[in-house]
Amino acid sequence: MITAALLGNPNVGKTTLFNYLTGSNQYIGNWPGVTVEKKEGYIENRVKIVDLPGIYALDTFSNEEKISKEFLEKGNVDVIVNIVDASSLNRNLYLTLQLKQFNKPIVLVLNMMDVANAKGIKINYEKLATKLGVTVIPISASKGIGVEEVKKLLESGNFFSPVNENDYHYTDDEKENYRFIEEVLAEVIVKEKIESTTIGEKIDLIVLNKYLAYPLFLLILYIIFMFTFSWVGQPLSDALDEYIISGIVALLENLLQNSSPWFSSLIIDGIVGGVGSVLVFLPIVMALFLGISFLEDSGYMARAAFIMDKIMRKIGLSGKAFIPFIIGFGCTVPAIMSARTLESEKDRKLTALLVPLMSCNARLPVYALFATIFFPGNESAITFSLYLLGVAIAILIGLLFKNTIFKKDEEPFIIELPEYKVPELRNLMLNTWEKGKGFLKKAGTIIFAMSVIVWFLSNFNFNGMTDMESSFLAHLGGVIAPVFKPMGYGTWQSAVALLTGLMAKEVVVSTMGVVYGLDLHNILAQQFTPIAAYSFLVYVLLYTPCISVIAVMRKEFGNKMMAFSVFYQLLLAWIVSFIVFNVSSLILG
Amino acid sequence: MSICDLKPGQCGYIQSISGNKKLVKRLMALGCIEGTPVKVKLYAPLGDPIIINFRGFDLAIRKKDAMNIQLREA
Repeated sequence: MITAALLGNPNVGKTTLFNYLTGSNQYIGNWPGVTVEKKEGYIENRVKIVDLPGIYALDTFSNEEKISKEFLEKGNVDVIVNIVDASSLNRNLYLTLQLKQFNKPIVLVLNMMDVANAKGIKINYEKLATKLGVTVIPISASKGIGVEEVKKLLESGNFFSPVNENDYHYTDDEKENYRFIEEVLAEVIVKEKIESTTIGEKIDLIVLNKYLAYPLFLLILYIIFMFTFSWVGQPLSDALDEYIISGIVALLENLLQNSSPWFSSLIIDGIVGGVGSVLVFLPIVMALFLGISFLEDSGYMARAAFIMDKIMRKIGLSGKAFIPFIIGFGCTVPAIMSARTLESEKDRKLTALLVPLMSCNARLPVYALFATIFFPGNESAITFSLYLLGVAIAILIGLLFKNTIFKKDEEPFIIELPEYKVPELRNLMLNTWEKGKGFLKKAGTIIFAMSVIVWFLSNFNFNGMTDMESSFLAHLGGVIAPVFKPMGYGTWQSAVALLTGLMAKEVVVSTMGVVYGLDLHNILAQQFTPIAAYSFLVYVLLYTPCISVIAVMRKEFGNKMMAFSVFYQLLLAWIVSFIVFNVSSLILG
Repeated sequence: MSICDLKPGQCGYIQSISGNKKLVKRLMALGCIEGTPVKVKLYAPLGDPIIINFRGFDLAIRKKDAMNIQLREA
């Protein structure tokens, strides 16, 4: 099998090409460095393609560069596929020069030919190939043009043989290298129009405007919220809910008429009640991710990092750290993993500790359920307030940590602002579907198992099947319930829901679905006062997200960080929920 | 003078870069080297960081770091 290493600068369409070549799905965005992990894909079992992180050079001390260099040295690479932005060859070829030191055949893929053409750039491919001793293939990955040729070439295995020493022009002097690149390009680029103000520059003047930048940023976030909760996500959820409750339950009740009560209870209350109550949130999760993907693919995310830098720096982080925080609104697990792209150890750790305070989408089902019952008409406002509270608490904790456990120097901060582009529908859909699939898998595995376990615990005790009030679960909840009494929700049911919520936050809802039965809305309305309900949501917002997060934390940062993270969040959640409950009770009576 | 002395829209030529080793190496690898024309595009809404443009792409950099990019006296 042929092993091909795929390399290139960030934002040159590397992931898009990878997807086309291998048909695999992965996360695509404009944030420099989204591709952190080494990804592999295959073309018909004949070519293995390893997607290396987006880098500008191989020797400027970043983890991504280390990973790439090591792989090129030790990974038995047969061919290097170096994808470059044809409209910005000057800078892109610097990496190409460095890649030549590995003495491997290089396929230079000139991407974004459509953009280059629009800019009036004409390239003499043959000359470029000869000058650099590489194979040149022009493509437009986003439009799928030329991709087949890359595929065919890789499958054929007919690459340039490694070139001789004289052909290797890279030196330790950057000036020399750029002089060489400029010499080559002077002969190769036939015509280059003088650029006038581009549309992107005009957009930046508005998007990054002194007065408009933040209102626009908030507006964009708000639109994503409305899209998720009012316009698309929630209505679809409601429709699905109707379907599950009235359709499947009615059908099952019919089918299970003659089976034993415990079996029909297991199926209807346990499995359908548990999994179903989480499943209905799939449209909400997907709508939110569609929004986040849109921001990434359009190029806006890097602008958000830019305008947020000065603010993020106040809590000891760089604007770049803002990205994990945004991803944290989707899911804490990839957010913590994406913290790996940050420059310093301090940034990575601090980000990983704070990111769980961003309200991930698994917490949404809980907010949505309670808001619908206790704050009808104000669902968006209540949910939005929780998101804001999470951010506010993160700032406070960030300040606290910055000045206590993380007292170190700031790292230099540079990020490229990629050009704006209209996100491709195909990429958006793939991305959103990936997230939805992840959610479904979770619903299918953890939540399915949890639903059955919770159903068992809530229907049995040592004497066999029993009422909920005397079940195992009631006893377990009863033991920890007093902890939550000062916040107005000291029932065994809510204690159990929070406990099982450690498996995954959406399990809070499915547990309640099981312990209260299918008439959840009416029963909940009697169990909580609106203030207690809100305090409960605050606790859900702030306590340890789930076992997946704990596992990732351990994997990335070790046991000590993991233990610290869990402990501080449990404590924090209790304190804030306590304050919210008692202050609101005082003010609102 | 450093790049921070330029107002948005103004251009200059790079003389040298000093300071943090990593920063210098990264900027140089991006082609921010002696003689390269550079333009300050705009300042962030809060005044920092700034966007500079060289070799056809935009780069966001903090003023504190940008101070280390010295420009040729005209």
